[in-house]
Amino acid sequence: MKRPKRGIMFTVVLMIVLVCFVSTAIGKVTLNFQGWEASPLETESVRKGIALFESRNPDIKVEYIPTPWSEHHSKLLILYAGNAAPDVAFVAAEPFYREFVKRGVLLDITEQFYEELKLEDFIPIDRKKMVVNGKIYGISSCVVAGVLFSNTNLYDEAGLDYPPRNVNEAWKWDEFISAAEKLTLTDTSGKVTQYGSYGLEAWFGLHSGHPLIMSNGGRLFNDDYTKCLMDQPAAVEVVQKMADVKRIHKASPDAFILQNIGMNAAQMLETGRIATLFDGSWSLQLLATLDFPIQVGVLPMFKRPVSVGTAHVHSAFKTTKYPEEAWKFVKFLSSEEYQIDLIRAGLWMPNRLSLYTPQGMERWLNPEVYPEGYEGIAEYFRDYLELIPYCFIPQEVQDIIEEETQLIWTDEKQAVEPVMKRLVERVNAVLAEQ
Amino acid sequence: MVTRPLRRKLKKRKVKGIAYNEVLWGYLFLLPNIVGVFSFIFFPLVIALGLSFFKWDILTPSVFFGLKNYIKIFQDITFLKVFRNTIYYVAGTVPLGIFIALIFAVALNRASRLIKLYRAIYFLPVVCSMIAVAIVWQWIYNPEFGFLNFVLSFIGIKGPKWLSSTQWAMPALIIVSIWKGLGFNIVIFLAGLQGIPDVYYEAARIDGASAWNQFWRITLPLLSSTTFFITVISVISSFQIFDQVFIMTDGGPARSTSVIVHYLYQNAFLYFKMGYASAMGCILFAAILSVTLIQVWRAKTWVHYGI
Repeated sequence: MKRPKRGIMFTVVLMIVLVCFVSTAIGKVTLNFQGWEASPLETESVRKGIALFESRNPDIKVEYIPTPWSEHHSKLLILYAGNAAPDVAFVAAEPFYREFVKRGVLLDITEQFYEELKLEDFIPIDRKKMVVNGKIYGISSCVVAGVLFSNTNLYDEAGLDYPPRNVNEAWKWDEFISAAEKLTLTDTSGKVTQYGSYGLEAWFGLHSGHPLIMSNGGRLFNDDYTKCLMDQPAAVEVVQKMADVKRIHKASPDAFILQNIGMNAAQMLETGRIATLFDGSWSLQLLATLDFPIQVGVLPMFKRPVSVGTAHVHSAFKTTKYPEEAWKFVKFLSSEEYQIDLIRAGLWMPNRLSLYTPQGMERWLNPEVYPEGYEGIAEYFRDYLELIPYCFIPQEVQDIIEEETQLIWTDEKQAVEPVMKRLVERVNAVLAEQ
Repeated sequence: MVTRPLRRKLKKRKVKGIAYNEVLWGYLFLLPNIVGVFSFIFFPLVIALGLSFFKWDILTPSVFFGLKNYIKIFQDITFLKVFRNTIYYVAGTVPLGIFIALIFAVALNRASRLIKLYRAIYFLPVVCSMIAVAIVWQWIYNPEFGFLNFVLSFIGIKGPKWLSSTQWAMPALIIVSIWKGLGFNIVIFLAGLQGIPDVYYEAARIDGASAWNQFWRITLPLLSSTTFFITVISVISSFQIFDQVFIMTDGGPARSTSVIVHYLYQNAFLYFKMGYASAMGCILFAAILSVTLIQVWRAKTWVHYGI
């Protein structure tokens, strides 16, 4: 190597060292922040939020690392094991938040939380979600829950009322079945061209099995989550009725695994293949961009109206070198001004009581997205949500529940009770190991 | 590597001077590869073997667990299920995949003018990203509105529910895998076919051998080393199937398409059971190794090297 080149190399290295040194000397802190890409809008909004946060806190820089959802938590595990965990990250509430807390991985922010925020400002299910044994390790930004979407054109054609938006008018299960049957149409050759209902089988946890079992007075687990109760009559009855939507009433199509069908549920609703869709409230963001009139209703009920909700939290890792800055950022990510854009877009629902007052709702009830009468749904979110039980049990149990119930949806001849019995046996065996 | 004649020479001369220098350079050039193999394959392999004797959740210190992981695996009904599923997948993919590839390769071998074009066309799926392929196939398999059942309905068949059926989801995955891997096998077979000298066929034709006889007595035996290579490679990669399952079905419905690596992944990264997953990995390794050894051992009876 010739001398001048060596000189250049030396200068470059020197400059890099200098830049690093100077930036630490100035005191600019860089926080690594890992999130998953739920939708382009969410990512864009996260970036916007980060920019706002940085402009308010010029001494903090946030490095955003978006990861695909399916790899997010495995990556966190590996990074933590390799002593390279991000400072702040999205953590799914079901079940990673509590799994991480149990293993002492997350930063305890209880003190700061009570100094600067009030637990009473959050809607009830969020309080239950964030507090673990009296301590707080993560704050949520929003809530999402199961609702009933409908293509109102099809309801108008059939001359039916839309699924009710107010809890006190919620459909009884039989009323839902009767509407679903009327909305199931066949052509002259007997081929079904339009189904009344869809999505009951998609995610047993959020928008079907759990809320309906709870609505029927049933429970999924005992108080300390050591025993599964899904073989009890109240639960078995509900699962049987869910299966009957397809088996007896023929009101639901076969394609059941939402992610695994080429045409997604929104497209099926748009093209009029289905009239009513059980889905998470987040789907409103996509549905609102499509060119057909929709309505959002509360889930049908048995004995009491209830839906099941959840949403990720933002947590700082214990290994962070900048706990104060990380707290500032976590707090910002939960603030009203951060969540409001995504709420206005229909992806999230607010988790602060202040946004559920009439004045609060005015800030996000965007008429371009939210159908008329959505105030009723807001009340449903504030007062009738239960936290998804999957927050308290290991992922393995969740997988067993989804696996066993799928046997019921895929095989019309499969009797419900033996499946629920075996499900409970398998789940209890896993819970006993914990 | 040091070539054989060179090695012989080195033995005689006791490695010195220029030859010694060459050996040194040889290993120096190999160094990046050796380092890579050791740090990314050999080292993790040993660690995984070690971890399989521990209970470890990645986040907290590990606890020695002895052989308990292995004992539990054989009592785990889910593991037995995914093991069966894996065997089903291998048995469905490998023979059929090789057979179809062979037919296509022999046919393509004759169309010598357009061979490059066809080769490229059949190779396309191999280089496509699995994600894109999976999305297209999900559409094709849609039981209500999908392309495949639409086509089947023309010939009066009411197609199955494919990915939403516990019976048909695995065959559906097998079809995708065969389709995707076809091009790779064809290209290897074509290379093998073009290595067979024409003189054999000429001689056979003069002797009046039929096309079938030529294929059976000349092509197939002379292609045996290629077939052997493809079989070994396909068996190994089929045992390790993961992408298709992860993207298209995530093991469902009702775990009917969950395979060993998928269950291993779930245990390691979702169930916080890294030790258990490592034990599973070791069992998979042992299974693949023994199947491959059996193949190599049986190969003597049907593989002919050299012409």
